[in-house]
This record gives sequence, structure tokens and C-alpha cells, in this order.
Amino acid sequence: MVGLIMKRFLQLLLLLVGISFLVFMSMHLAPGDPATIIGGPTATESDLQAIRTDLGLDKPVLVQYFDYIRGVVQGDLGFSFQNNQSVSEAITSRFPQTLNLAIASMIVAIVIGVPAGIISAIKQNSWFDVSSTTVALAGISIPNFWLGAMLILIFSVELQWLPVGGLSAPFWTIEGMKQLILPAITLGTASAAMIARMSRSAMLEVIRADYIRTARAKGVKRNTVVWVHALRNAMIPVITVIGLNFGFLLGGTIITEQVFAINGVGRLMIDAIAARDFPVVQGTVLLVATLFVVVNLLVDIIYAFVDPRISYD
Amino acid sequence: MLKNFRLLSVSLFVLVLIALAGCSEESGADSGDDGESSSDVAQELTYATTSDVVGLSPIDTNDSVSSAMIEQVYETLFVRDPETMEIKPHLAESYENPDDLTWVIHLKEDVTFHDGTPFNAEAVKYTFDEFKSEERAAPRASLLEPVESIEVQDEYTVVLKTKEPYGPLLAALSHTNASIVSPEADKAGDLNQNPVGTGPFVFDEWVQGDSVSLSANEDYWQGAPELESVTMKVVPEYSTAVSMLQTGEVQFIDAIPTEQLPRLESMENVEIQQKEGTPVYYLGFNMNKEPFNDINFRKAVSYAVDREAYVSQLNGLGVKNNSIIGPKVFGYNEEAKDAGYSYDPEKAKSLIEENGFEGQEITLLAANRDMYMKMAEIVQAQLTEAGLDVSIETMEWGTFLDTTSEGNFEMTFLGWSNSTADGSELLYPNLHSDNIGSSNRMAYENAEFDQLVNESRVTVDQDVRKEKLHEANMMAIEDGVWVPMHHGIVTAAFDQSVEGLQLDPTGQWSLYNVSRK
Repeated sequence: MVGLIMKRFLQLLLLLVGISFLVFMSMHLAPGDPATIIGGPTATESDLQAIRTDLGLDKPVLVQYFDYIRGVVQGDLGFSFQNNQSVSEAITSRFPQTLNLAIASMIVAIVIGVPAGIISAIKQNSWFDVSSTTVALAGISIPNFWLGAMLILIFSVELQWLPVGGLSAPFWTIEGMKQLILPAITLGTASAAMIARMSRSAMLEVIRADYIRTARAKGVKRNTVVWVHALRNAMIPVITVIGLNFGFLLGGTIITEQVFAINGVGRLMIDAIAARDFPVVQGTVLLVATLFVVVNLLVDIIYAFVDPRISYD
Repeated sequence: MLKNFRLLSVSLFVLVLIALAGCSEESGADSGDDGESSSDVAQELTYATTSDVVGLSPIDTNDSVSSAMIEQVYETLFVRDPETMEIKPHLAESYENPDDLTWVIHLKEDVTFHDGTPFNAEAVKYTFDEFKSEERAAPRASLLEPVESIEVQDEYTVVLKTKEPYGPLLAALSHTNASIVSPEADKAGDLNQNPVGTGPFVFDEWVQGDSVSLSANEDYWQGAPELESVTMKVVPEYSTAVSMLQTGEVQFIDAIPTEQLPRLESMENVEIQQKEGTPVYYLGFNMNKEPFNDINFRKAVSYAVDREAYVSQLNGLGVKNNSIIGPKVFGYNEEAKDAGYSYDPEKAKSLIEENGFEGQEITLLAANRDMYMKMAEIVQAQLTEAGLDVSIETMEWGTFLDTTSEGNFEMTFLGWSNSTADGSELLYPNLHSDNIGSSNRMAYENAEFDQLVNESRVTVDQDVRKEKLHEANMMAIEDGVWVPMHHGIVTAAFDQSVEGLQLDPTGQWSLYNVSRK
């Protein structure tokens, strides 16, 4: 296990270097000059030049990259071009909102997805199975921004049960939970649908296995067979999907944050891209990439707990 | 047993993660007071805007959201009356011109900054010196560029000397970015983070990306405002802001997009204010490229574009007027309203045939924001009708700014907010040959026109200025360098409990006279 973690850690480092290089280069090569955005439409060429010098954008790109990497290694992600805030500070002040949203969405996804998939499998071809499979297909297909806007119209504007936007209250308060519900459903729906489909097919496969028939033949109760013997074995692919989805959720909160006015990392990233705020874009992309890799590592570790046959040594 | 233990540890791990997330949340949480119901008559107001302020220092910023907050915290020496559009003293008491190069400005006494620093001639000199300092690189430094020196004559008198006579000086001094800042606060820290002015509201907190909060200045020199606190909340999605207005989570939004207007109009608890404003939106030609530098081509395009039909699609949020200088901008004259080349498809077709422009391939460049896409689609249809082969290229704003300033386009759509409401500040940056390669994106060059604009700038007599601006305006209209698509209507929508809100034609507003009932 330790070997696995070490190996993954080295892979992560290599990956981050690669990603930082790609992001750095693509931001610098893409059209759009931070100086023209900061200077506004009335800036003269000499104003722009002064801004570029001030930001260090007049140096060769490779020199800028190495300067940047030297900073990152020392834990310095640089400063925002827009408002001179430290990038680490900007990220740490927003990350809790994104993490709350991703965890809440994951809970929504698991609570809906796993039971729906299992019941569909046990009662294959029943009305429940057909309708849940249809709903799952719809869940994957509905765009986030539309679902979010509709939920706001129904539950906030018409029924007035839940607030429209923001995660201003801490999540353990009633107010905070109310604020989380709509964004979590918006973001979690697609994942719930994917988890449901995966749980259903994994369960179907396991239920047909010999040892399940044997267990039933020995007289073990149906419910015990399903929830103890079968579920455990059907969980491996489901955990993979959950892990992957959690990675996506952490990096994919952008639209939900936008619709619900949540001040998270996704919005920080999108605003930074629009403003060509290079240091902030790089910082947020590195964060999302790191999280994705770490979540996947955790999934691998969880495998070993769920299925003792899996060993990494 | 062992299996159960493993399951347990996995669940514990997840719980710990959640708890950790909770702990770090505490520091990031704000007061959480934006869910209050509108029936509460507390003197509090929440304003929603689609983007965050860049900073809160008038010297160091140049964007409209920052300006909206800066307006409430700081004040300028002069202000433009939103009704008459006349400039009148504000922090200044009066002024005189002993000669065309000298402006002696007497200041109001007994005004103090929020940090207790007295407002006086030293503060004005400090602010303007910083504004002009090369090191500071103020984005709107051009406003005071013609000012050569700022001298303190006595405690409450400051003397500005200009290199040449400078007509738009009062307009420049009434611009939000020329607000007077507390010298002590600026020396001690960063005004972007901790703004200190003389205005009716005092800065409390800025949660970056989320909100700015202000509270009433109880010692304000004109008397404390009725509102006790003001919060600016960042809501990136306009339709979400509209929902929040409907549910009472916010009480005030502005700059309404045309497509949201019908929804807002249908809401019972919401009032809408619309006012003819200073912004102008136009279709421009790249004068460095064929055939766009041909007056006959530009005339043909202008004849072909039915601006009445276009404006009718804006739900009333635009006015058709052929003038480049809009009706609410200094230098406008009724005569310009129908000057130039109004819609006449027959004339367009014959010009196109006579000059061999038939089937001419042109690309309309449009930024994918505001109303530019809509403009592009309508213009494309109308020009196709007239016999041209038109395609549209769309770009994200940052790329668009870069591409147009490099001159890599044929025809494009842009706007100008006219935040000083002065025609010189419109014609000089956008159409004067001094600014080719930067803000004169169409690369328009006309020596006679330049001369008129120069005269409008170096004359202190406002009547003469107005005449010069009108002449320059007519010349640019005749040259067909811009096809003005529409002149803006400034808008705001607010909860019916909000009273006393007055929009300025530049789109700015002050919350000083606002209260909740």
C-alpha cells in the first residue's frame, strides 16, 4: 500500500509539471492580452507597455514559466493580475464552498443512485425499473444550467421554500442546508443517473452468479442475499464510478456556481479565464488536477478495503 | 468482524472529511443576512451585480462595477446634474478662470474623510498628483493628462494649471475616477482594499468574489443617509438576480438585458426605471481595408441597415438616432438626429450595383456579449438583402479587444458608455488620429475633423465648444465612419419598498437619497 501511494505521488508530480506547462503555454499563446483588459478601451500603447512590464509579461514565455515554477515549488502561486490578491489566498477562501457543494452533490447522487440501481436490478423489467432507467437517461441528458434555473423558478420563486442563491450560511445550520439543497440536486443529478445505471448493471451481473444461487439454495433469506452477499461484490465498479464522479464534481461546479451565485473555485477560474488572469487560472487548474488524482488514489485504496482479494503489493 | 471494521473506518474517513470541510467553512462564511424578507422595513439594501468590483480605489480602477461602489464612498469636486446635465460644484464651492489656462477652485469647508482626515486643498493636490503619477499608472490618467500642475493656494483653494486651454476639465473632474481620496489612508495602505472617501457611505468589508458591504456615514456633511447599510452581492447569472429580486433576497439591480425586461415587467413587487442614457452602440468600418475605406461602400451599408427595425427588437431599451454624439451627451444638436444616411434599401442597392460591390464578401466581427450578437444577426440579414455576401465571426470579449486593437477585422460592433457625458471625450479617443493604434479602432483619419475636435478640447467657452463638437459630429456622420445602431437607455429594477432612487444618464446612481418603506 505504501508503495502504491509513493508511486502515485511521483506520478502526480510529473502530471502536475505537464499540466502546468500546458496550461501556461496555452494561456500565453491564446489570443487576448491581460494588459488590454486591465487598461480598458482608452489605454494607449505606452500605458499597455507599462502594465506588461509591471506584470512581467514582457519577458520571454519560457523565462516566465520557469519563474512561475520556481515560485510554485516554494509554495508561492503568485498574485492575481486583476487585484493583486495572493492566488493561494483566493483559492483557500473559495475552496470550502466548492467542497461543500461537491460533497452535498455526491451525497444526493449516492442516496438516489445506489438504491435506484439496486431496486431496478432486483425487479428487472418492472415498472420501477423502466421508469428509473428512463429518468436516469433524462438525468444524464439535462443540462445543468437549465435544471438549476428551473429548480429556482419552482422551489424559490413559486413555492418560496428555498433561497435562490449563495452559500452564505455555514452548512450545518438550517439556513445553510436550505441554501445547499438546490445546487446539490442540480449538480448531483447527472452523477446520480450514472451511478444508478452502473449499480443496476453491476447488480444484475452479480445476482446471476453461482454463489448467489447457492446461497439461496441453502435457504438464506432473499433480502440477506441481496444486501449482504450480492451488494458487497457489486460495489467495486460502483465505487469506481463514484470516485470518478467526485473528481468531476470538484472540477465541474463552474456552471452550478454561476447559476446559484456561489463564490467557489469554479467561478474564480471562469472569471480568471475571461480576464486573462494567468496566475489565477494556473493555480485553479493545478488544484483541480491535483484533487482529481488524489480522489482516484483514494478510490484505489478503498477497493482494497471492500475487496480483500485486491492487493497492490 | 474485520470486514465491519473496514467499513466502519471508511465511513469514519468520509465523516472526518465532511467535518473538515465544515471547519474551514466557518472562516469563509459571511454574515448571511441576504435572505431577509422584503416586508421588513429595516433600512438595508442589497444590490446585485453580475461581476465583482476590481478594486475600490478611484485612482486605480476603471470599470463600471467598481465605479458604482466608489460613487457611494467617495465624492468628486464637481457633479453633473442628472436632470439638466449641467455641471455644478459639489466638494468644490465655486471656481473661476483668471485666464484660459488657470482654474482656481474654492473648496467646501468642514468636510472630513471617513478616517477623520480633513478634506482640503492638500487632499485634492495629493489625489491628482497620484492620479497623474507615472509610477502609479492610473488607468484613467488620460482624464487629467492636460493638467500641468496642481498648487495649493490656501487651506481651501486649489489652483489647476493646464498646458493648453482645456475645455472638458469640469467634465473630467466630475468623473467618478477623479474622486478625492484620503491622503492618509492612501499612504497607510491599499485603497483598493480599504477605501476612504468623504461620501455618504463608509466601507465595511469586501469578500472577494462575493460581496461588498457599506454602512451609513453618520457624520456626512449633507446629513446622514437614510439607509443604514448597503450590500453589493455578486450574482453572475442575470436571471438568478431577477429571481432574487422577485423573492426579496435583493432589492435592486441595474443594466437590464432586453430579454429580461418582459419578465421583470410582469412582477408585481418590482418597479422599473428607464431613462435616456449616454451610451452609444455602433457598427464601425476598418478604414485601413478595402472597400471599407470607400465612402460609397459605407454609404451603401448605412442605407441598407434598417435601424428602426433593429431598435424595435430591443423592448424599448434603445433609441434610434443617426447622431454619433447622443442626445444626452454635451455637444449634441437636434440637427444631427436625421443627418447622414437613413434606411433606404433602393439607394443601397443602386450604390452597390454602381460601384461593383455585388457579392462582396464581408465578415462582421461580434463579441459574444451584450447585444452585439443580435446586432450582427440583424445587420447580416439586411446586408444580404442588399446584395452583399455576409458572414459573422464571434469572439469572447478578451480576444475581441485584442483582435480589434490589432486591426484584424473588416466591420465590427462596439459601444462607448460616455461616462463623462462630454462629446470631446467621445470623439477624441474614438475617432481622432492621435489614437489610431489604440482606442481609435476604426483608424479614422481626417485632418479637418481632428482640428475641430482639438478646438473643442482647447476652448474653455462652453458655447463655442458645443458648436465645434456639433461640426465635428456632422462631419463624422457624413463620412459614415460609424453607423450608430442605437443610443442606450439606462435601466434599473427595484423592489417596491425602495424609494428615491434616481438613475443618472450615464447609468450611475447614488444611494444617498434612497430609503425603504
